[in-house]
Amino acid sequence: MSTLEAPRPTRGDTVADPADLVTEALDLGYDGTRVVHALDLRLPPGQVTAIVGPNGCGKSTLLGALARVHEAQGGAVLLDGRDLATLRPRDAARRIGLLPQQAAAPDGLTVRDLVRYGRHPHQGLLRQWSPEDAAAVHGALAAADLLDLADRPLDQLSGGQRQRAWIAMVVAQQTAVVLLDEPTSALDLGHQLEVLELVADLAAQGRTVVLVLHDLSTACRHADHLVAMRDGRVVAEGPPADVVTAGLVRELYGVEAAVLRDPTSGTPVVCPVRRVAATG
Amino acid sequence: MTATLPRPAARAAAPAPPGTWRLALGGRSVLLDRRAALAATALAALVVVAVAVSLAVGTARLPLTHTLPAVFGSGSDREVLLVQRLRLPRVAAALAVGAALGTAGVLLQTLARNRLATPDTVGLNDGATAFAVASVVAVSTSISPSAFALVGAATAAALALGLAGGAGTHGYRFLVVGLGVGAALGAVTQLMLARAAIDDANAAFPWSVGSLNSRSATSVAVLAGGLAVALPVAVVLGRQLRLLRLADAVVVGLGTRVKRVRLAVIATAVVTAGLAVATAGPLGLVALLAPEIARKAAGPRVVPVFGAALAGALVVLLADLAGRTVAAPLELPAGLVTAVIGGPYLLWLLLATRSRRLA
Repeated sequence: MSTLEAPRPTRGDTVADPADLVTEALDLGYDGTRVVHALDLRLPPGQVTAIVGPNGCGKSTLLGALARVHEAQGGAVLLDGRDLATLRPRDAARRIGLLPQQAAAPDGLTVRDLVRYGRHPHQGLLRQWSPEDAAAVHGALAAADLLDLADRPLDQLSGGQRQRAWIAMVVAQQTAVVLLDEPTSALDLGHQLEVLELVADLAAQGRTVVLVLHDLSTACRHADHLVAMRDGRVVAEGPPADVVTAGLVRELYGVEAAVLRDPTSGTPVVCPVRRVAATG
Repeated sequence: MTATLPRPAARAAAPAPPGTWRLALGGRSVLLDRRAALAATALAALVVVAVAVSLAVGTARLPLTHTLPAVFGSGSDREVLLVQRLRLPRVAAALAVGAALGTAGVLLQTLARNRLATPDTVGLNDGATAFAVASVVAVSTSISPSAFALVGAATAAALALGLAGGAGTHGYRFLVVGLGVGAALGAVTQLMLARAAIDDANAAFPWSVGSLNSRSATSVAVLAGGLAVALPVAVVLGRQLRLLRLADAVVVGLGTRVKRVRLAVIATAVVTAGLAVATAGPLGLVALLAPEIARKAAGPRVVPVFGAALAGALVVLLADLAGRTVAAPLELPAGLVTAVIGGPYLLWLLLATRSRRLA
């Protein structure tokens, strides 16, 4: 929609206090099955980090752990040097925002209603609406270019608009860390770009953004930092241009691929050739 | 694009979001959803009308101008007796039972994220009934049926939750397991009634259908006390209840202590459903109908706990009124009336193709 016609100025607050998010020997799992093993990771502040890897490699679980959805079974997630598990949930939610996959809202809820939920960690029983809340909701709607659609029910929006509304909810939370689990899945190319441009804006404001992405080329194009995972371990980490090679693609997905350069951005583009046995 | 509001202006005025009233005092502020507030007011007005009609109508009809004075003890002895002794307690019981079932319904539906999850369907009513009946026919005890019903509802909830592995991510499983638990406990009730002496079985009869005919004043008082605790708790939980409609990961991400909130919600539902069943038996489908009415009226922004309580009171009052008048002088139990109205509605809900998510 309007994203293409009107270049979107970067709006919203600049984060004064970037967060330092680190995992130390982090073990994660469900019901006795270990999904992530002894993971040491530092997420570069103010940058976009993309976590990639095959299905079931533990990337969504890791993102959940960064947002306290999953408890660490060993090791810890440290936020500014403090164990995330020891923080009050509300304090943690003022620093770290999460948009999980397949988030669904009650029928009839409007964009503004949803974005207001983002203020929850800043509110209380007797502090239900402050000037800061009004400003943050307005700022988040503006950042996601949704001011025109603010009072439309979510179920009347396109997939891309709806996804931007969910991201706006997280933006209204005004956290230094924003975690997004596959924010572009099920979106067409234009809508994907809509979302990824918004993501770039968030990082430009000083937020630490972590994305789980399915598509390696998209990750290369839009992330500053890449974390490649397989079987619950980090296989490679660093700037996409340095990390993504034919060898890595083979190791991750068991696919032989040609890795080319994007003519505009110079970032790696992965062209799969055929399936082979995974190495590593 | 609409012009962007300058941010300093937004900061100074703190405009309330559209559709809400902001009540502020010092640094404190409360947001009132307009539609929900108007809906609650309208429902309350309807309840008042239904109360007035219930007091006036019956085998002996009183003009409305005589019922109100009679409530306060003025009028002929016959009128005072009729209104104060016979109809008022029954109306009070209907109000309390309906409000409690409506509250329990809206809480369980929100908890399981499913409109079909009510104290009837997840077994709370069956548990309360089984224990209440046991206290009358099987166990010789001086402990009131209220206490037994409460324990029964809690047992059913614990069984359903335990077997389903929590209500959260497994809302559907909670519902299905609850159906099984309810069926088993219902069978226990039938077994006890079949084996009981005829007089005992008669005494326990109201618990098998749900009726407001000559309910014990004690259980109504206990229920009113329970509501006096449960409704404020539900109000405090209101903001969290709204969030519970979203996916678990979203709720956690927004800084809510999900487990604690769930526990408070289920405990409140157990208390309200248990005490309601102890008073009037398992009045079928009130807990399904009432929240639905309240949600339709209050809109999608809120989880209308008060609205559901008021709608429940209204449904039970009208059902009892219909039961007393439709086939007079024969009296139909209110539970029969709610089942007759609620049954087709439940079917429609199950068969309707549209989204079954909480509206």
